[in-house]
Amino acid sequence: MTASKTYRSPSRAYYVTGAVLLGIVILAFILSLTGIAPSPNATSAAEKLQGPSAAHLMGTDNMGRDVFARCLAASKYTLLISVTGVLIAFTAGVITGLLAGYFGGFCDRIIMLFSNSIMCFPGILLALVAVAVFGPSLFNVVIALGVVFAPTFARVARTGTIGLLSQEYIMHAKVLKVRPSRIMAVHIFPNLMPQLLPATVIGLANMTLFESGMSYLGLGVQPPDASYGKMLADAQSYMMHYPWMIIFPSLMLVCYILGLYFLSEGIRISLGGESR
Amino acid sequence: MKNILEVRGLSLSFPSKRSSAVKVLDDVSFNIRDGEIIGLIGNSGSGKSMTALSVADLLPETASVEGGQILFDGEDITKMKPKDRRLLLGDKIGMIFQDPMTALDPLQTIGRNLDEVLQIRNIPVRERKDRIIEMLKTVGFIDPEGVYKRYPHQISGGQRQRVLIAGAALLHPRLLIADEPTSSLDSVTTMSILKLLKSLREKLNMTILFISHDLYVVRNFCDRVMVMKDGKIVATDNTEEMLTGTNNAFIAEMLAKSRLDPSELLLDMPSVDYSGSPILNVKDLVAGYSSGILSRKARTKTLKEISFDVYPNEIIGVIGSSGCGKTTLAKTICGLMKPTDGEIRMKEGMGLGVVFQDPGSCLNPSHNVRWHLREPLIASGSKLSPEEQDKVIRRVLEDVGLEQKHLGRYPSQLSGGQRQRVAIAMCLVLEPSLIIADEPFSSLDAVLAASILKLIAKINRERKTAIILISHNMRIVRAMCKRVIVMSKGRIVEEGLTGEVMKNPGSDVTRELIEAEKMLGGARQSSTGA
Repeated sequence: MTASKTYRSPSRAYYVTGAVLLGIVILAFILSLTGIAPSPNATSAAEKLQGPSAAHLMGTDNMGRDVFARCLAASKYTLLISVTGVLIAFTAGVITGLLAGYFGGFCDRIIMLFSNSIMCFPGILLALVAVAVFGPSLFNVVIALGVVFAPTFARVARTGTIGLLSQEYIMHAKVLKVRPSRIMAVHIFPNLMPQLLPATVIGLANMTLFESGMSYLGLGVQPPDASYGKMLADAQSYMMHYPWMIIFPSLMLVCYILGLYFLSEGIRISLGGESR
Repeated sequence: MKNILEVRGLSLSFPSKRSSAVKVLDDVSFNIRDGEIIGLIGNSGSGKSMTALSVADLLPETASVEGGQILFDGEDITKMKPKDRRLLLGDKIGMIFQDPMTALDPLQTIGRNLDEVLQIRNIPVRERKDRIIEMLKTVGFIDPEGVYKRYPHQISGGQRQRVLIAGAALLHPRLLIADEPTSSLDSVTTMSILKLLKSLREKLNMTILFISHDLYVVRNFCDRVMVMKDGKIVATDNTEEMLTGTNNAFIAEMLAKSRLDPSELLLDMPSVDYSGSPILNVKDLVAGYSSGILSRKARTKTLKEISFDVYPNEIIGVIGSSGCGKTTLAKTICGLMKPTDGEIRMKEGMGLGVVFQDPGSCLNPSHNVRWHLREPLIASGSKLSPEEQDKVIRRVLEDVGLEQKHLGRYPSQLSGGQRQRVAIAMCLVLEPSLIIADEPFSSLDAVLAASILKLIAKINRERKTAIILISHNMRIVRAMCKRVIVMSKGRIVEEGLTGEVMKNPGSDVTRELIEAEKMLGGARQSSTGA
């Protein structure tokens, strides 16, 4: 009855803003591959703590490393970790969530017990423990983040699946004796995308924040490699007098996170959700 | 007679930035006389709900009133202060809506739900409870004290609608606006709600504005009828003259559309050989929903000792009001629910198809029609080559009256009737010898329902498929089924040839169903029926 759909299309503005912000980070990632900037890990005692100039667009840090080059390099790690981490969390979470929702009963109880157990610890703590046990390598960080984030996806998938089970087309598929694995993969999974897509995008943003937090504490990306969290940690003691050290990596981080949030908001609105 | 409500030149539109404003009401004028029941009918989108919402001041925010007056008791309510106008709703104007499922707060008892209305009007606690209990008694609850303490999910849809009527009537409004209050109810419940509204009018001296798209309901209930089309009132007259006269082309068309008269479909009943062996044999079936996670035993028995046979090539009707266990029976036979006791025996190698009620969810929104028709073949492990599969799909598509161009479409691009056809086609792909049809027509309008009924009859004739037709509509069962099973509260209360059951109903349930059929139209046809 209401004409609100033709009235305004608020998702477009979110998409455009999100794309521009993400575009900056992706551009940085591409530039980091071309080798346009000097080596991000090359130190130079003579050039340390210089302000932005033609030679060093974003200045240099306390070890004379080029901040611009480090920002580009950090985007590489950020994208790599968040995308693979979310991929792991998505796969593990959606599969377990589908199983729990579809079979219910005992299976549901066990899976939800596990995922709730993970969720009731602060995520960063769990990731820290995992890294402390298995050692702070990039691989371990990604796996740990994947495990910490899996329950979010499991919950979304489980709730969605339970809702869909009462739909007539799923009942029909059962009457046709379609195998449960096929019902889950072909009949249910595509219909979960409206819920999973925004969760994925938000997951990317949250994972990046986690990774930055861990790197800040020295447990994520290992020196001398650059990561936004690590760059912020390094800049901490210098930021009052040499603000470029903290401003530029912060801005990049903000671009990425904000871009993802805008994107997820846009997706949610255009899929028919409320804009709130 | 005095007019309680006068609407003069009311125009309403939804402004839009891109295109010109969408006009939903165009110069609407009408009067409602004190104490009458006036019907407002029209197709969906004709503006009847918007008219009601304008009177009740419940319009959506995006709507803008472009002009006109609404006089309630001689006073223009469009010029009132918002606060006064809000109080008018409830005190003077009551309203009930279509869906009784969503209108009550599920976390509050019925009592608390109703109490709120009185609470905001500063009525003392003791008096509030007395008034609610009294009103629950008035709307026909035998145990008002018990209902007061219950939660919405513990009572049926018809009972919820009664609760809502009680809520609307609590403050003794002068005008009650009922927006399709019976559309989501079955025929027996509809009849009882209509009776209730009529008795309330006498008891509380109310005027009722009754909105409906069902001419049959209106015919036996309203004193006068207004017809709306494209935001305009096209005719107003006494009900009898309006619905018998054919001087208005639009009404004649609407009459034709809403009259689902299966006897006009000329469906001939299939000849059935009852001496042979049945294809489905159900014996002492008990089923229900368990509430414990580890306990196998059902707590609530939805089906109790159900026994019946289905013979090849017959259409057997299963009839009963909502909540009688019809759908549970269908689900149990399909294997969606496990029986707790008894047995279901099917003939060796027999295929089973099922069509459910809701065209909105019968197809998977993520896949197109071709996928839907191929899926049964894949599931059954068919060894046909893709070309042969395509052939089967095309033939079935033609059988259900769809075209090649529909193959690539997604459910959102199909109408309700088309979706239901695809669902039927999905059954046919595997050539089953039994199809269970669980009210596949109940949410379609009469023209579409009739075409689906014809399709089912055609499938029965041409493919020799037996059909279990589940319905709450006596007329449909009478026209389609030679044999009928009447269900109530999970049991079979009567079984026999349809004609005989109709002539000598052996149970109260059957009598109620027949009475409902008469009241909601079809009275004229009943003498000529089977």
